[in-house]
Amino acid sequence: MVATIRLSVPGTLRYRPIAVRAVAEAARLVSGSPQRDAKNPTIDPLAHDVRHPFDTAVVSAFMEIFNNVAIHAYQRKGGGAIEIEIALSKDAIIIEVRDDGRAFDIEDVAQLPAELDEESLPEGGMGIHIAKTMLDEMTYVPGPPNLWRLCKRLSTTQVAVGRS
Amino acid sequence: MSAPFDVQRTSDETKLTIRRSLDINSAPALADQIDKIVATKPTRVLVDLSELDLIDSSGVAALVKLYKGVRSGGGAITIAGTRDQPLAIFKLLRMDKVFNL
Repeated sequence: MVATIRLSVPGTLRYRPIAVRAVAEAARLVSGSPQRDAKNPTIDPLAHDVRHPFDTAVVSAFMEIFNNVAIHAYQRKGGGAIEIEIALSKDAIIIEVRDDGRAFDIEDVAQLPAELDEESLPEGGMGIHIAKTMLDEMTYVPGPPNLWRLCKRLSTTQVAVGRS
Repeated sequence: MSAPFDVQRTSDETKLTIRRSLDINSAPALADQIDKIVATKPTRVLVDLSELDLIDSSGVAALVKLYKGVRSGGGAITIAGTRDQPLAIFKLLRMDKVFNL
């Protein structure tokens, strides 16, 4: 059975925490990761409870795509919505993110250096690389509306991310 | 409730603690702190990430800037306490070895 969750937020970074929390909770429904005990007074109520490798992969990828849409599609100015559709099944999550802003040139994304040392540590251009590596599938179709489609399966999670 | 980050200075160490989420919304405020830390040319910097739950590429960029800034000023920098999602991101970017996590 597939459950669908739809969320529409204005296309600025101000609404990012709402979208990230929704995606984190949706990922948890697939991974079955238990919530921290909310009654425990030592737990910061604003803490983000993302520990399971599946939740980690989904949230990490989604954060980068939300940033990309707010910054590149809507140029940090908003002016449109970010439509998020989350489809949950027993062992996978598919997140579709739509916007009506500028199309993104995904071919133009720089590669990270092959050998990383102190000199070559990158200070930018990591977002799409993070999203793509964390997911099983990521596609982008320029619009309007532009569409990002993110897919992560529970079965591939341990191999792709590993437990920390 | 504790602040998203704070800086403690002792005679021989500058300790930066970062909490909750270091991301595109919180990184700009941290960048100001980082500029101030780097400007003092500290000999030892400890970055405590044990209370950090989430990081995105903007947050990583801020930490890389701090790392490079401290090192180019001749100082030593240690990143400690990295766990969960932030550790996964550093590993994915192969920065765990450079940062000695």
